[in-house]
Amino acid sequence: MNQALNNLSYLTQSQLLIWTGQQLSPNVPLYNSPFTFELAGEINVSHFQTAFQILIDKSDSMRTVFESINDIPQTKLLDSVSYKVELLDFSKEKDSNEQFQTWLNERMKKSFELSKPLFDSVLINMPDNKFTWYFNQHHLICDASGVAVLYKVFTKIYRRLAEGATTTDIKIPLFQNYVEYEKTNRLNLKNAATKAYWEEKLQSVPNNLKLYGKSVEKNTTFSKRVSLPLGKQRTEKLLEIAKEKDFRLLNSQLTLFNIFASVLSVYLARISNEQNNIAFGTPVHNRSTPDFKETPGLFIEFFPFTTEIKNEDTFVSLFKRVSNKTYEFLRNAQPGASSPKLNRAFNVVLNYIITDFPDFNGIPCEAVWHHPDHSDSGHYLRLHVYNDNSDSIKLYFDLNLAVFSEKMFDTVPNHFLKLLDAFIENPHQSIGQASLLSEAEFQQIVIDFNNHKEVENKHVLELFQIQVLKNPEKTAVSDKTQKLTYADLDEKSNQLANYLIEKEITAGKRVAIYLNRSVDLIISILATFKAGCAYVPIAANNPRGRVADRIKESQAAIVLSNSSLAADIDDLQVPVLRLDADWHRIKEHKTANPDKMIMPEALAYIMFTSGSTGQPKGVQISHLALANYINWAGKEYGITDQATFPLFTTIDFDLTVTSIFVPLTFGASIIIYEESKTGPDLAIFDVIEDNRADVIKLTPSHLGLLKERDLKNSRLRTMIVGGEDFKRDLAESIVESFHHEIAIYNEYGPTEATVGCIVHRYDLSNDLSNSVPIGKPIANMLAYILDENLNPVPQGGVGKLFISGDGLSVGYWNDKELTEQRFLTNPFQPETKIYDTGDLARLNSEAQIEYLGRKDQQVKIGGIRIELGEIESALSKHAGIKDCVVEMINGKRSVSVESVTNCIRCGLPSNYPQVEFDEKGVCNYCLSFEHYRQNAQKYFKAPADLQKLLDNVKVERKGEYDCLVLLSGGKDSTYALAKLVGMGVSVLAFTLDNGYISESAKANIRRVVNVLGVDHVFGETPAMNEIFVDSLKRYSNVCNGCFKTIYTLSTQVAFNKKIPFIVTGLSRGQFFETRLTEELFWKDDIATIDKTILEARKSYHRVDDAVKRLLDTSIFNEDSVFEKVQFLDFYRFVDVDFEEMMNYLDKHLPWIRPSDTGRSTNCLINQVGIYVHKKERGYSNYAFPYSWDVRMGHKTREVSLDEINEEIDENEVTRILGEIGYSSKDVNTDKNLVAYYIADAEISTSDLRNSLKNYLPDYMIPTYFKQMESFPLTDNGKVDRKALRNLAVISKEVNTDYVAPETEFEKMLSEIWSEVLQIGKPGVHDNFLEIGGNSLAAIRITSRVNNAFDLELPVNIVFESSTISQLADHIEKSISMMLAELNR
Amino acid sequence: MDSNQVIIIKYIQDNLLTGKGEIELTPEDDLLGSGLLDSMGVMRLVGFVEETFHIKIPPEDIVIENFMDVKAITNYVECQHVDNEPSPQ
Repeated sequence: MNQALNNLSYLTQSQLLIWTGQQLSPNVPLYNSPFTFELAGEINVSHFQTAFQILIDKSDSMRTVFESINDIPQTKLLDSVSYKVELLDFSKEKDSNEQFQTWLNERMKKSFELSKPLFDSVLINMPDNKFTWYFNQHHLICDASGVAVLYKVFTKIYRRLAEGATTTDIKIPLFQNYVEYEKTNRLNLKNAATKAYWEEKLQSVPNNLKLYGKSVEKNTTFSKRVSLPLGKQRTEKLLEIAKEKDFRLLNSQLTLFNIFASVLSVYLARISNEQNNIAFGTPVHNRSTPDFKETPGLFIEFFPFTTEIKNEDTFVSLFKRVSNKTYEFLRNAQPGASSPKLNRAFNVVLNYIITDFPDFNGIPCEAVWHHPDHSDSGHYLRLHVYNDNSDSIKLYFDLNLAVFSEKMFDTVPNHFLKLLDAFIENPHQSIGQASLLSEAEFQQIVIDFNNHKEVENKHVLELFQIQVLKNPEKTAVSDKTQKLTYADLDEKSNQLANYLIEKEITAGKRVAIYLNRSVDLIISILATFKAGCAYVPIAANNPRGRVADRIKESQAAIVLSNSSLAADIDDLQVPVLRLDADWHRIKEHKTANPDKMIMPEALAYIMFTSGSTGQPKGVQISHLALANYINWAGKEYGITDQATFPLFTTIDFDLTVTSIFVPLTFGASIIIYEESKTGPDLAIFDVIEDNRADVIKLTPSHLGLLKERDLKNSRLRTMIVGGEDFKRDLAESIVESFHHEIAIYNEYGPTEATVGCIVHRYDLSNDLSNSVPIGKPIANMLAYILDENLNPVPQGGVGKLFISGDGLSVGYWNDKELTEQRFLTNPFQPETKIYDTGDLARLNSEAQIEYLGRKDQQVKIGGIRIELGEIESALSKHAGIKDCVVEMINGKRSVSVESVTNCIRCGLPSNYPQVEFDEKGVCNYCLSFEHYRQNAQKYFKAPADLQKLLDNVKVERKGEYDCLVLLSGGKDSTYALAKLVGMGVSVLAFTLDNGYISESAKANIRRVVNVLGVDHVFGETPAMNEIFVDSLKRYSNVCNGCFKTIYTLSTQVAFNKKIPFIVTGLSRGQFFETRLTEELFWKDDIATIDKTILEARKSYHRVDDAVKRLLDTSIFNEDSVFEKVQFLDFYRFVDVDFEEMMNYLDKHLPWIRPSDTGRSTNCLINQVGIYVHKKERGYSNYAFPYSWDVRMGHKTREVSLDEINEEIDENEVTRILGEIGYSSKDVNTDKNLVAYYIADAEISTSDLRNSLKNYLPDYMIPTYFKQMESFPLTDNGKVDRKALRNLAVISKEVNTDYVAPETEFEKMLSEIWSEVLQIGKPGVHDNFLEIGGNSLAAIRITSRVNNAFDLELPVNIVFESSTISQLADHIEKSISMMLAELNR
Repeated sequence: MDSNQVIIIKYIQDNLLTGKGEIELTPEDDLLGSGLLDSMGVMRLVGFVEETFHIKIPPEDIVIENFMDVKAITNYVECQHVDNEPSPQ
């Protein structure tokens, strides 16, 4: 025994993982690897026992045990283990096999004590002179191949003993050699590339596959093994296919692995939430040498295997991609390179096992691998492909019981087999072609699920007339001003109908109804039906333009409206009937029912919905469809003539259809709540306060508003909820706020399927998932959950929801193309249509449909699909969160790069924030400049003024130089320098060497200063790269950081050398880019402009950024520096055009136009800034300054556009980004997740993040969290997600509450901020700097404020009172002080 | 045997055949059909060849024809070099 090995304590990565797994589930036999070997013949028991002892002596892995010292696991190699194989005899028992099974089941679950030998070996005497050897090892000391190795060497030892020969020459290679090898490999960072590969993989691996849509609430190690022998025929066919040209790889085992990996990927894509990126874990065997191949022990190591799946893949094309991935996988799956993190990156395992167990000393052996009913709790599904070179490959599915119920035990192998068989049948077929479902499943979820026929559906008018006859004197409808009985309503609507008929507005025509919620509205709808027409509802609070559009689009024959609204539409070429003012004309018509025959297919209404594209589309609903819903709803919701419905929701939303027709057709009453004239429609509160209704139809967002109301005296008994995802938490709290039983129905239905087509009655005790299920289809409606290829998705799986049945719309008004796109032929009943809802859904284990959000709202980050709903659910698990919405926002601002146009004058792109073009295509900057161009001219001075200024300096000169000139080496600064020298001024030239100044620029600088004979210094700082990174993060460019460094360092030089002036070579365009704003020229006062700019400069140097942090900026703490060193802009005094400048440079100076930067700049890093800016904000950071150059006449539009649109060398950009330490991943091209939440108390972002980490992978954790008082709602009463996205969310943490402005000052400031900072809705507590403020913005804001309130606030006020709220406060105080002064 | 073949044979013997005793590997010995190298072995070899000869072996080149024996491997390596570098004039 080699003593030196005794005390080795190192654990391999795999050992460590298994050891940890065992610690997490102590005494659970999840790592037991029990085998039985049925030996059909006589065994010499004594030889057997001796052989086993020899095996232990020779194999170090058998003697390895594990101890934990201070919680750190150590391996220990025992010198010797004395062990006698236990003998059992079941041969005499009557039911020996059963007895043995019982014994086996118990024995194999016995857990090992890790500090003792980790194996268990029993020889059992079975009837008919047969033996069974039971051999169980802990996974810490074995893997499947290791068992075969031991079996073979054990056989050999036994044979020698049986032959009476010696065993001393039998050597078992030591496992310790592998441990050493793994350790060296792991520690020796030769595999740096490998490490990087896995790091990268961790970032991108899509984990959390939800199998059959099941989320795991509580982990368990319990798992069920289901065996699936493939059989001889299938195995043979597989082996044949493996030999085909398309599948031939280095060897046939590799081919088989890749086939199973491909089929498994397809299977996972079909049954999980992830359809394009599949990840599962798979082990590498790590037995890379012949020695290792003969060593018992734990070698295998798990790594995540990922592959992309495309919808258009065939099995062959997928196999090719998988094969390439396997090569990549094998190259990087180096011994020891795995980690706990990598092992958590998957929850499905593919284990391809090649092993064989030959005869035992001539006795036929059948080896069986048993499952101890437990496995890793993180492995939801394991597929073992067990290839023992027999004529049938065996598949074992280990199904974790946290995910799979007993019902699924056969389903999983069957679904997999369907795909494997499809592959075998024709590998060239599309991966989506084969159905997964068995006939029984198909019957159940496609046929039986949709089987609720209801034959008699009277149309709504017929039902109404029945009620008129039955209850003529009962109140049908009332509003604030009037109350009508059924008879009244019938009469009035008959009169109006007869009026319409007289005007030949009858069958086939459309009547637009543009009215407030009122009794007149109800009369109008009924009259429309009675005249045989379809109505087009247009709510009174629509914008004027939209009202006109709707009327025009629907080609309405008449508009029914009232006097106050009719004024909006008097210019349309459509007759308008005012129900108030024109009633006397209507009244003259007969009260008799016109008794028009209504055909079932006749249109009842056209409802315009905005849909996801934003383009409104008119959904046409027939009387048949409407009748189907109304008949069903009245019965389902138990509506009697005692019921009272409130009508309080917007009339052009089909949710409201329920509140109009259900009462009228079942004899109930409607109470109408009119919309408010101004502000949001919050009639829901009136309904609750009024407390007369007992049935209500509303959205979950409405319910959210009621959450904390005391409803114990409410008369409400039935709530029908629709229009949005209905969270269970909300349902629960609503039930709790009532003191009596309340029936809550969750109704699902796109407008295209008429109001509601799937419904579920909320069940407090049984509905446990995050959202209330939407349930089952209503009468005569069918629902299918299908995949991309219109195959039914198995129960549990996620698919797209399709609707069919009587309630289906006949299509979109005047849009055949869209109709054909969304209404498809029903694959199960080809004579009917199915409507593609675009919603994602699954059928849960209770056979209820669960709504999972819109497919087009599905977002991807780095290619990984994210379900926003899942994040919302996880977030609502935090105790403090009352409600939340998660949204994705694009980059730092909404960037649209498509269809960018440029101002026809200056070239400014249309995606520059808040730019607007007039009809000619001229931007607002050009237009407004026209107005102050004249005034702006006054800012500029003459060269003589400069001469005068500098002459004065000469007199008082304290130091060696009159001025310091900032010399970049470009044309402008070179020209300025030369001219200044020509003026006889003593000059020091200063250049910042930022590390990226081009060689030609440096050469130019050296030549120029030489020829001119001026002194020159280079400024530099070791912090430059850090400043660049900071600038990229803050401003998406490098120039801001660079400029500030120049100003800071040059001011220091000037200050130290007592130079009174720094002269810049900024172009006039740059003045307007950085300091001159329109506001400054509102007043004709140049002195104030200079003062304001100086104020801004002070603030600029005091902004806390990398420059302030990393450079010595102490001189700026005192205001005096701004007097001692003043800035002069050379081109404020000198106006020279491009031609003239170039001529001068050519003639007088050895200056050469730079060529090595590939552009007209001297700086190589410039393009990096432009690249990042374009990626993050959609336009070049030069777009704005160049537009000014064009406007000032220093550049042509064409030259400017050429330069802005110049190609950028991405490789070079990536290289430089790497060099300065800015990861290209940081480039914010992607999207950010923002969580908006409502909570009583403030919750810290880190608290929220930590809470989410328990449920979500890192990439799903929102970047920003924003607390809200309430969520904005759309007119339809749904959460207005678009409005949320427009809230101020820029580059900083957005954990300030959004608080809307309240006071007049706040409102005004909010408007100013919004315009200047180019953000949607700044909250009054948002910090100026955090939401993108800078000194230019500060100038603009103070100028506007001063102008508006006639104040003289300094620029830095915006930095000091840095929120709207504080600033409003300050203004208010200043004004009251002013007033007090006046009154004194 | 050319020097590239010697380098590759030495790598295989030292790293992928430890324990096989003193077998002599010749450039013509079948590496794959004999089971001498399995997929993992080939990929280790691919890594070694890439690093040693400064070439990149794309997945589509990892085929039996290029890896059946040491001779095939060195032929493949030489072809890559010819393709990549213009021949001296």
